[in-house]
Amino acid sequence: MDKILEVKDLKVTFDTYGGSVQAVRGINFDLHKGETLAIVGESGSGKSVTTKALMGLIPKPAGKIPSGEIMFEGKDIAKMKDKDMQKIRGRDISMIFQDPMTSLNPTMKVKTQIMEGLIKHQKMSSSKAKERAIELLELVGIPDPKTRIEQYPHQFSGGMRQRVVIAIALACNPKILLADEPTTALDVTIQAQILELMKDIQKKTEASIIFITHDLGVVANVADRVAVMYAGKIVEIGTVDDIFYNPKHPYTWGLLGSMPTVDSKEDELFAIPGTPPDLMNPPKGDAFAARNPFAMKIDTEEEPPMFKVSDTHYAATWLLHEDAPEVDPPESVKRRMKDITANGSDQKGDES
Amino acid sequence: MGKYVLQRIAYMLVTLFIIATATFFLMKLLPGSPFNSVASKLSDEQMAILLSRYGLDEPIPVQYFKYIAGMIQGDLGISFQFNNREVTDLITSRIGPSAQLGAQAMVIGSIIGIFVGMAAAIRHNSWVDYTANFVSIIGISIPSFVFAGLLQYYLAGELSLFPTAFWDGPEYTVLPTLALMIFPLAICARFMRTEMMEVLGSDYIELARAKGVNNSAIMFKHAMRNALVPVITVMGPMTVSLMTGTLVIEQIFVIPGLGEQFVSSINSNDYPMIMGTTMFYSILFISVILIVDLLYGVIDPRIRVSGGKD
Ligand SMILES: Nc1ncnc2c1ncn2[C@@H]1O[C@H](COP(=O)(O)OP(=O)(O)O)[C@@H](O)[C@H]1O
Ligand SMILES: [Mg+2]
Repeated sequence: MDKILEVKDLKVTFDTYGGSVQAVRGINFDLHKGETLAIVGESGSGKSVTTKALMGLIPKPAGKIPSGEIMFEGKDIAKMKDKDMQKIRGRDISMIFQDPMTSLNPTMKVKTQIMEGLIKHQKMSSSKAKERAIELLELVGIPDPKTRIEQYPHQFSGGMRQRVVIAIALACNPKILLADEPTTALDVTIQAQILELMKDIQKKTEASIIFITHDLGVVANVADRVAVMYAGKIVEIGTVDDIFYNPKHPYTWGLLGSMPTVDSKEDELFAIPGTPPDLMNPPKGDAFAARNPFAMKIDTEEEPPMFKVSDTHYAATWLLHEDAPEVDPPESVKRRMKDITANGSDQKGDES
Repeated sequence: MGKYVLQRIAYMLVTLFIIATATFFLMKLLPGSPFNSVASKLSDEQMAILLSRYGLDEPIPVQYFKYIAGMIQGDLGISFQFNNREVTDLITSRIGPSAQLGAQAMVIGSIIGIFVGMAAAIRHNSWVDYTANFVSIIGISIPSFVFAGLLQYYLAGELSLFPTAFWDGPEYTVLPTLALMIFPLAICARFMRTEMMEVLGSDYIELARAKGVNNSAIMFKHAMRNALVPVITVMGPMTVSLMTGTLVIEQIFVIPGLGEQFVSSINSNDYPMIMGTTMFYSILFISVILIVDLLYGVIDPRIRVSGGKD
């Protein structure tokens, strides 16, 4: 598959009064044309900072990209001037935000907020832009778009606002869509509707999507590939099947194990003990070692490289080293894996 | 919306009635009489004629009802000190300079303040921000008559750029306006900086950036309007302090305005004049608050709708 985005050894730091926070500590991944890549991980693992870096929206001067490349169409976004980045943002790469209650301008009509990008990037006249805005509202499933477009955000419910946010992101037919936990702030029923909409859009527009979430249930449902992030690094990356059927990193096991499923009993939950490390002083060796029941001596001494599991599947854990003992995921995690994949395929069956 | 405005006007009338009643009785509690200065030269008979002429010989409740009845018809009585001229007449003849001075200071001061506040927020923690902060602290903590004195001394005295006093054309308005506008400028700058900082950190500004909107459009199209909403609320109280400011400034610059007349009517116990001017200031103040509330709705669509439902 063709690569549309290549991220190489990307690092992001923030200077704070307490010191420098290493929010993203050297990540590598590719995004292919038309695929949905999910990025999962506990909160604070650097998912949002990663998307902001891809948008060129790391807040300056506190935020810095000390090294790394983000290659998009032969150009490095990480080193681009803001003026040039303005031409890419909203046109080639656009973003769906987490909280629809705060991400629309309260004093601006919905119409104006959608038309703005069209007028800027596609040099549309305002009557053309308005027509297109109405089309977009229709596309994202807002009834009576001709009336709704004249309204203000406070006249919309949370789910409807998120549809507006999606319409804004889609306005210029972006090549890449970044969705940062687009359903986290919504009610469960609305979440499902928005996910449906996202999948529908993926089919219609063939955009590449980076879908950020901390909910593995959502991942099974929408993604082609999954990157698992921990403490500013990608610790495992692979196809959905790789991650759900054959997870290799103990942190991924923990995420899978701590995920509640329909028939799981409370006591079976395999919770990850402890808390993520302080990103101002990341520990030596594997950042996950302190919370890893399978940690070995080398985990506290040296950082594990990315071990290749298969052509599509890589994981950064010393357990994959040829000298390491064979370790299987805990029984409870294995059961959970079976539950999730069974439910996942159930859901897929229901839709078609 | 129409219903809301009517309701607000009804509240205004009730408030005014209470103010009228309160000032009337407070006035009666004041020591001295309007004829203090001439009392020794008058016989008892002459004094009685004077008192009955102004209705001051009647029982206080009767005076009160006559006063309220007159006020409802737009008659605020006759001034004791200014040759028996009607109070309404005297007020209207003096509004011009006060209104011009107040409006100039308010409009110029708040507009400059708003832009200073925006600049401080955009360049926060830079010299622009520190300078703006210094100016606001000075403007808020030092009373306007101190500036008036300094302006008179340096710009009028030493440099002779503008006239020192009196009211005789546009150049005469410069110094009093400058002295009076520092306060609204300082208040607006402070509020605007705080609000802009908050707005610039909000999600919808990040979304606007994510759309590729350029910096100046972010500031003026997206952020400014939202930051203005809370700034509008301080306009009401600001107008009040501006009105008290004009009282002093008009004295200092010898401007024939309402404030100067008000001060002299207090010095001479001119009851009808004091009450009339108080009522006038009250009406002005209450109207300003109403206008500010309506303006709030114009800027913020959320308030527009909920205001209509109330
Ligand atoms: N503007 C900022 N200044 C300082 N630290 C930041 C800033 N933004 C994010 N961080 C830090 O970066 C780390 C990763 O944050 P984030 O990407 O938001 O995590 P998440 O995976 O939950 O989206 C966190 O430790 C967070 O505190
Ligand atoms: Mg996040």
